[in-house]
Amino acid sequence: MTDFKKIEENLKKEAKRLLESGEVTVVLAYGKGFDEKHPMPFAAKSVADVDNIVFNEYCNYNMARYLVRYPQGTKIAIAVKAADSRAVIQLIQEEKIKKENLVLLGIPVIGMKNPKTDEVIDSKTTCGMHNPVLYDVLLGEEVHGQKIVSPYDVLAEYEAMDKDARWQFWKDQFDKCIRCYACRKACPMCYCDPCFIDQNKPKWADKAPQSPGNIMYHLTRFHHLAGRCIDCGECSRACPVDIPLYLFHKKVAKECEEMFNQVSGMSIEDKPVLVNFRVEDSDKILE
Amino acid sequence: MSRIGVFVCHCGLNIAKTVRVSELAEFAATLPDVVVARDYKFMCSTPGQEMIQRDIKEYKLDRVIVTACSPLMHEKTFRKVIENAGLNQYLLTIVNIREQLSWVTHDIEEGTAKAKALLNGAVYRARLLAPLTSRVIDVNPDVLVVGGGIAGIQAALELANTGTKVYLVEKNSTIGGHMAQFDKTFPTLDCSACILTPKMDAVLQHKNIQMLTYSEVTEVKGYVGNFDITIKQKARYVDHNKCNACLACTEKCPGKGVSEWDEGLVKRKAIYIPFPQAVPQKPVIDRESCTYFIKGKCKLCQKVCEQKAIDFEQQETFSTVKVGAVIVATGYDLMDTKPLVQYGYGQYPGVYHSLEVERLFNSAGPTGGKVTLRDGKEPQSIALLHCIGSRDKNYCEHCSRVCCMYSLKFAHLFKEKTSADVYQFYIDMRAAGKGYEEFYNRLIEEDVKFIRGKGARVTDSEEEPGRLIVEAEDTLTSKFLRVPVDMVVLCPAIVPRADSKDLARLFNLSTDKQGFFMERHPKLAPLATMTEGVFIAGVCQSPKDIPDTVAQAYGAAAEALTIVVKDKMELDATTAMVNPASCCGCQNCVRVCPYSAPSFNVDKRVSEINEALCKGCGLCASVCPTSAIIARHFTNEQVLAEMEGLMEF
Repeated sequence: MTDFKKIEENLKKEAKRLLESGEVTVVLAYGKGFDEKHPMPFAAKSVADVDNIVFNEYCNYNMARYLVRYPQGTKIAIAVKAADSRAVIQLIQEEKIKKENLVLLGIPVIGMKNPKTDEVIDSKTTCGMHNPVLYDVLLGEEVHGQKIVSPYDVLAEYEAMDKDARWQFWKDQFDKCIRCYACRKACPMCYCDPCFIDQNKPKWADKAPQSPGNIMYHLTRFHHLAGRCIDCGECSRACPVDIPLYLFHKKVAKECEEMFNQVSGMSIEDKPVLVNFRVEDSDKILE
Repeated sequence: MSRIGVFVCHCGLNIAKTVRVSELAEFAATLPDVVVARDYKFMCSTPGQEMIQRDIKEYKLDRVIVTACSPLMHEKTFRKVIENAGLNQYLLTIVNIREQLSWVTHDIEEGTAKAKALLNGAVYRARLLAPLTSRVIDVNPDVLVVGGGIAGIQAALELANTGTKVYLVEKNSTIGGHMAQFDKTFPTLDCSACILTPKMDAVLQHKNIQMLTYSEVTEVKGYVGNFDITIKQKARYVDHNKCNACLACTEKCPGKGVSEWDEGLVKRKAIYIPFPQAVPQKPVIDRESCTYFIKGKCKLCQKVCEQKAIDFEQQETFSTVKVGAVIVATGYDLMDTKPLVQYGYGQYPGVYHSLEVERLFNSAGPTGGKVTLRDGKEPQSIALLHCIGSRDKNYCEHCSRVCCMYSLKFAHLFKEKTSADVYQFYIDMRAAGKGYEEFYNRLIEEDVKFIRGKGARVTDSEEEPGRLIVEAEDTLTSKFLRVPVDMVVLCPAIVPRADSKDLARLFNLSTDKQGFFMERHPKLAPLATMTEGVFIAGVCQSPKDIPDTVAQAYGAAAEALTIVVKDKMELDATTAMVNPASCCGCQNCVRVCPYSAPSFNVDKRVSEINEALCKGCGLCASVCPTSAIIARHFTNEQVLAEMEGLMEF
């Protein structure tokens, strides 16, 4: 199992070094919350802040969410777990951030837990990877020898449903939605300002937390994240009414991978798949 | 409040047979804001146009809806109609009830109902339309011709003779194309070289033509009137400015390559000109077969060159030309017949394809015009197999159109040059063309044996080793035939160039099912393409003979001229614009635009659109997650209103 204490030590050490040397002006990591189970996203801006940094099995926030909030050119160090590093890669692909302004503090980890349920987060609700895809400094030992599980296995039950059953399933789920937009807030790829749902001209959907508007909001958000979602699962964990948003994202990611043979956030050389034309692309999408 | 006029066209019976047009007009009259609705047999005719103009004045219309054919067909016509009546041309809405409606149903109930829904949507949209102003741009007066075959040569000459500057790009080291490989041309049997080589020379001499041989187009930017085209000059390793075409180098060269010009029938040197009448008559070095490039030493050519023209360090270079219009005339390839193993091409030395035979007949060819087999013997019997890969559902469905006629030409030449028996295995003889049927009749009299049945298989003869057996069913007598011959000539399908897809992508051309470039309209715009300012001529559009190709070349030249003779031209006002307040900086628009119109302003972190480059396709607006991009004439509000109208039904 992962030695969380060791990672926390290394994280503090690296943060201190980077801030002291002036190599970065901010370190995006995790800070103390009101108890151990509820650490908080934390931006350390000075050496004094470093003492506040923690790392434990509940630090599942995707800190890549905060990268686009800083002005272009800010030197940032960021703690990244596997899916978080993919979010960083995807943001680099979309030219929202530049690699040269970043120091990626890679955290290989196994056994992260959902504070709400205390369940271990695995391939069911995230991409199921353990090691960061891209990093500058590694804060622990890489995880190897784990059984490799496809992140799409969890779809079996969903895919077994027919069209009507799926529609009913999502209608029921979206009926629960209270439009708190926590999913949007938690998502590292939801950086649009303004979000389409906040617009009035044209008004794409009703803003009240009722069925048709809810469906419009979620389906459009799914559509906007197609080929971009890196499957960190933060939207589903952020949801106060437990809508399994990850199911839809995984389904779209699977289709996308089958059709275009590209997985989001795996290489900074890739181009965002749905807005990139390659001659060898499958025409299946037109059928 | 708008004042909308609705004009329903019958299009003869084209629309009226599956849409109750008068009912549609009556329905239109009941819709809010519609002040007049009429139907008429041919709305695009003069009385129809006058009716619209009269109503605009009489009823003070400020919106006009024409429910008729596709806007591709007559949008321009009707825009002019309303503009002449004093309305802004963008206040017109076309509802396509022909291509997308009456032609795709047999059910008049269904057709009428759909027409009503579409019309209702159009009324909703028309209310929100805004007057727009067309853009006026400068036009570059030069023209680019891609492909130096007979089509490209003819088009270039025509344009140059009007005083237009022409860039002629050819990927081979000589212009001339396939026609230069032929010996005789059907049906008159005049010598190909005699009619082509003077034209090649005229291109070389013409002061208005800049010939760019051994070159390829690698990038196309811009739009009609203002194309920026990047051309790659492949490394020739010979400085053509210094070379005086003494060709001493080609004599001394020890390298051996396969002669592409002679269809691989003979070898050529590594430094070579493809054939003696090549234009320009200056050699190039083929890296693949050059001893120096393979082994690192030799340079014999450099030693014998008094002009010091050989330059082994030469690199490919890129240059950009600016032109107002482009003619694509890239010709064809023959289908590779090796995968059709039943015909034994590549397996039996006696099996040839038609271009090889053209070279055999040619006095500048590998045999000096003598018809001999690969072993040097003269064939005693020859079979010509039509439709190899053409008219064949397994390969190419299309008819390659020239094979019947060149097979007759071959038969005539075989009779002239050998004493062989000649068999034609055909499905149908297609001899439509001036003098073609007469030529066919002449060949029947020349004792050529015509067998109506497609050659099914070529095998080697067990009784007489070296001879071939052609198997076929004679469909006139319903008998299976096994005809022993010495030589088999396959007439393979004419297919698009192997790299035509790349070219289509460069110029944004559509291709048909077979991969030939699509014309804008098969009858009314056969040389124009969907890309404004890019025209096509010759076999790259579809298989055709030399007379048709030349006619198209003249036509394409005229089409290109209509653009470049004017200093200025009007472009559609239907472009996209960015609302910077809503732009989230995702750059999706930058990535999807085929015309590079949007660019990202790094300081402001928003996209900006260069309207001169924008064609108004709307891709950017559709991928914009924050609706920051507004496609003029197709704004979100207009499209949503139209959908609302549609969904009322």
